[in-house]
Amino acid sequence: MSYKQFEAIEKHAGLLAIGIAIMVSLGGLAEITPLFVEAHSLKAPPNVHPYDPLRLAGKDVYVREGCYLCHSQMIRALRFETERYGHFSTAAESVYDRPFQWGSKRTGPDLARVGGKYSDDWQRKHLLDPRQVVPQSNMPAYPWLVGKKLDAADIQARMRTLRKLGDPYSDADIAGAPAAVEGKTEMDALIAYLQGLGIKNEPDAATASAGTGGTP
Amino acid sequence: MSTGWSFWVMFLVVLNLGITFFLYLWGPRAKIPTLPDGTSGHVWAHGTLREGVRPLPMWWIVLSGGMFVAGFVYLALFPGFGNFKGVLGWTSHGELANAVAANDAKRAPLVERFRLYPVEQLANDPAALQVGKVLFEDNCAACHQRSAKGNVVLGAPDLSDNDWLYGGSGNDITTSIHDGRSGVMPPWASLGADNVKNLAQYVLSLSGSPHDAARAAAGQPLFGTCAACHGADGKGNQALGAPNLTDHIWLHGGSVADIEKTIGEGRQGHMPAWSPRLSDDQIRVLAAYVYRQSHQADAGKP
Repeated sequence: MSYKQFEAIEKHAGLLAIGIAIMVSLGGLAEITPLFVEAHSLKAPPNVHPYDPLRLAGKDVYVREGCYLCHSQMIRALRFETERYGHFSTAAESVYDRPFQWGSKRTGPDLARVGGKYSDDWQRKHLLDPRQVVPQSNMPAYPWLVGKKLDAADIQARMRTLRKLGDPYSDADIAGAPAAVEGKTEMDALIAYLQGLGIKNEPDAATASAGTGGTP
Repeated sequence: MSTGWSFWVMFLVVLNLGITFFLYLWGPRAKIPTLPDGTSGHVWAHGTLREGVRPLPMWWIVLSGGMFVAGFVYLALFPGFGNFKGVLGWTSHGELANAVAANDAKRAPLVERFRLYPVEQLANDPAALQVGKVLFEDNCAACHQRSAKGNVVLGAPDLSDNDWLYGGSGNDITTSIHDGRSGVMPPWASLGADNVKNLAQYVLSLSGSPHDAARAAAGQPLFGTCAACHGADGKGNQALGAPNLTDHIWLHGGSVADIEKTIGEGRQGHMPAWSPRLSDDQIRVLAAYVYRQSHQADAGKP
């Protein structure tokens, strides 16, 4: 390459932009594309199942209310994290999360394995008014969730959509959704979702079944 | 990563390093056409600003060369070049395992010492209390408060008094933490609203609290059902976790409305089991910290 070609790049903004784009994308092509393509071949471990209808509705409430803005769901492989929150998170655990809720923003604690840590009653009172149970908390209250009944047809539609994307819902699963969410509110759904976090998909099967703590 | 993708990454690494290395070698040698005044002829602002042509400074060349060396050393030692694991065999999971092992080794003498004593004695060990306090605030304070004074809203008992639902010995506390506890007070609304009111007044009378004597008298015969758990004298039963009704400690609130609600709707307070989250050693230390909360007066005794 002589200086002339270099000058051409220097004098044409379009050429310069293309050159920059190529160089900058090299890193992304190396780091992102293999994971992006291989993610589709990631299989769910035997103890990870698609969300049941109530928890699926709860997951959508979680996303709608923006819980991820303050709570991550990714325990990093660092001792001070695993001591506080439990086993580090793995990619296979969140194969059924669309979108995944890993995050890195922790105004509140990580919730990846919060399931069973508190009672259902605690979760309800905490969501209604966090200061009732944790005086120092700065979390907003979510009282409107109590008044919103779940729409079974809507949840069935979501399950059918997820099935098109590859989640293994059977016809019986979808047919059973109305019974599963009968009379339930968004509050019930969110609590069911939170109480299921981490405990049904912990990589180590020995600790996976015990986490519910006999929640009634 | 499959072999194909491994080669893809290697190719990109070589390509990236190749392009930058070529520019690095070529830059200092490039022949830049220079005007007689020593500038490149590039002008800005109608000639007010002109671009000079100078050789690259040595410090820049040395530093840039150092970056290539650092890059090669990194790719040799650590994972990064496709599937090549690096000479050091470093992984983030291995790093975690090392950190955990190092910390366990550091803690081992302390843990050994903690195992020597029963919970009641451990409650006088400052190191155990320090560890227990951290565990308590992280796991228990959400319901029992950092002060351990409990939360009437939840029916989370005060742990700093000497009133125990399931027993206050070191073993009892350890069991409560390890296995969790579930309250099983059934709802008695089927007795009728008036009877629930009468019963509430009778319950208030048991502790000598202000009450409506007529209603209490009417409620007394109904207490037989309650006595199955709370005892005929209302002093409770620690085997069942039935609270003592003759003191002034109220798990779910002691107002008339609270007690009527408790009787009418029942109470099913729930403490999760901590055995899935905490090790047995951690649970014992935690039990010692809890024991200490109600035995502050014993401080300093062996």
